[in-house]
Amino acid sequence: MADWTFRADGVTKSYDGGETYANQDISIEVHPGEVYGLLGPNGAGKSTFVKQVIGLLKPDSGSMTLGEHDLVEAPDTARQLCSYLPQAPMPIDSFKLHEAIRLTGEIRGGTRDAVARRCDELIDALQIGEWRDTLGAKLSGGVRRLAGFVMVTVVPGRVVILDEPTNDVDPLRRRLLWDQIRLLGEMGSAVFLVTHNVMEAEKAVDRLAVIADGKLLAEGTPSSLKTADRGCLRLQLMLVPGAPDPELPPMLRNSSMVGHKLVSTIDEVNASEGIAWAQRLMGEGVAEEYALGAITLEDAYIRLTGHVSGEAEAVAP
Amino acid sequence: MTADAISLPLTIRSGPANWWHSLSAMLRWQLTSMRLLLPLLIVVQMLVAAGFSIGIGLFFEDLTATAALYLGTGAAIITLIIVGLVVAPQLIAAEKEEGTYDFSWSLPVPRSASVAAWLALSAIISIPSMVMALIIASWHFDIRFVLSWSIIPAVLLTLVCGTMIGYAMAHAIDQPSLTQLLTQVVAFGVLGFTPITYPLENLPPWLQSVHQVLPFYHMGVIVRAGLTVGIVEELWLSYMVVLAWTLAAIAVTAFVLGRRK
Repeated sequence: MADWTFRADGVTKSYDGGETYANQDISIEVHPGEVYGLLGPNGAGKSTFVKQVIGLLKPDSGSMTLGEHDLVEAPDTARQLCSYLPQAPMPIDSFKLHEAIRLTGEIRGGTRDAVARRCDELIDALQIGEWRDTLGAKLSGGVRRLAGFVMVTVVPGRVVILDEPTNDVDPLRRRLLWDQIRLLGEMGSAVFLVTHNVMEAEKAVDRLAVIADGKLLAEGTPSSLKTADRGCLRLQLMLVPGAPDPELPPMLRNSSMVGHKLVSTIDEVNASEGIAWAQRLMGEGVAEEYALGAITLEDAYIRLTGHVSGEAEAVAP
Repeated sequence: MTADAISLPLTIRSGPANWWHSLSAMLRWQLTSMRLLLPLLIVVQMLVAAGFSIGIGLFFEDLTATAALYLGTGAAIITLIIVGLVVAPQLIAAEKEEGTYDFSWSLPVPRSASVAAWLALSAIISIPSMVMALIIASWHFDIRFVLSWSIIPAVLLTLVCGTMIGYAMAHAIDQPSLTQLLTQVVAFGVLGFTPITYPLENLPPWLQSVHQVLPFYHMGVIVRAGLTVGIVEELWLSYMVVLAWTLAAIAVTAFVLGRRK
């Protein structure tokens, strides 16, 4: 049986004649059937990495192979074996939704009947049937995004690259989309999921790599990335809008603010002290509520990158 | 179970059958992408051709038969090259601007089949416009064209040359705004300062020398030779120049498309 494992070894890519590194010595291995997350803040080098997989960019050094196929040396092969949903909008303004899907399926080498059948199945599965005959220009951002997903997966590659697939998609269809992403794995594709939404990734991926400033900071299953935080809890505090920012005691680590939400990591042994602190802030009218819970992947992500997923930045502890 | 019909790729597709399949699928993709624009574009091209030959004709009270023949054929020749040279690069620049370029270039088709689809698209827009321009000129100036078999290679070579120059330019230049600007300059130069609608001798000597090297004047010569009798000389030289430019544009395109940053 053929080996369809994806291997990147020492992939390095720089811009400005070596001034800035988009990727620095990245080595990963992704197996058929795996959903593999590439997580990192904006500008971390995730999209650059996947563009090298599909042959739109070329690494300065390092190799990328899919089984016996050298993807760097043979971009024609890479395009046949991999399918790619870019972050940018799909060029389907003048296509009816089902036309765009069927035509890409045929371009991807599917036979007309088989593509038509799977097109209809996916349209049903994602509940976008009511827009089947609608021109792309008239579709909402979310439906366009789903159409893009179906276009690149109606005839999936050995590697399926999805760059922020859930952008603009409503919560209900997001769930349906995750189901389809899992099914791609069951078909045997290795799925690259590029995202900066850690909460979503935690539920969807088998393994993930955390990338920042072009470097691979950590790799593993969502659980394994949280092991460094074993014995810790997550303390979350909703601050009162307009109230002064509270001074953070030393027991709180990796604190970050998203809007009025303060999220920190705290050792289990300090839990009661942390609760007392939170209750005092509520008494002073600085905080509205608090919650103490298990560490999530997001906390591990903040520890690794110093970034909150989304736009907010971590605050100094 | 119907889903069995779709399977993950096992082998790499190659060979002539795959190439033709890719060409036809990409051409359908391009035609559908331009479905809203295409009829408008063809109509506009015809209007440009009509406006050009009739408009310039208004400058002169008495147009000699030869001048009318120049003008009539010239407008048609400009219609033939302007789409590939100006409109097509602008479409590619727009793709780069909107960020949709990456998806188009990640599709699993041989690059040569994408190029061939682009040439076919250019022909689909340009040739009807050119025919229309000839009909309008023939009616307006009351001139007779004498078609010879050489019109076929002349039109094809001119079309491929113009389209490939525009295509190479659009892919080679990263900045979409620069492509837009450059196509404006090309359009202006081709429409105004190229001896397609008037004889080469009407230009100052230095500009004549420039046009001996550039392909546009020579495109005019070879196409006109297929439409008229007795007003074209040194045909083989013009064929050589246009052919050289075509080969150069194909070489640049191959280089640009093969290059990955």
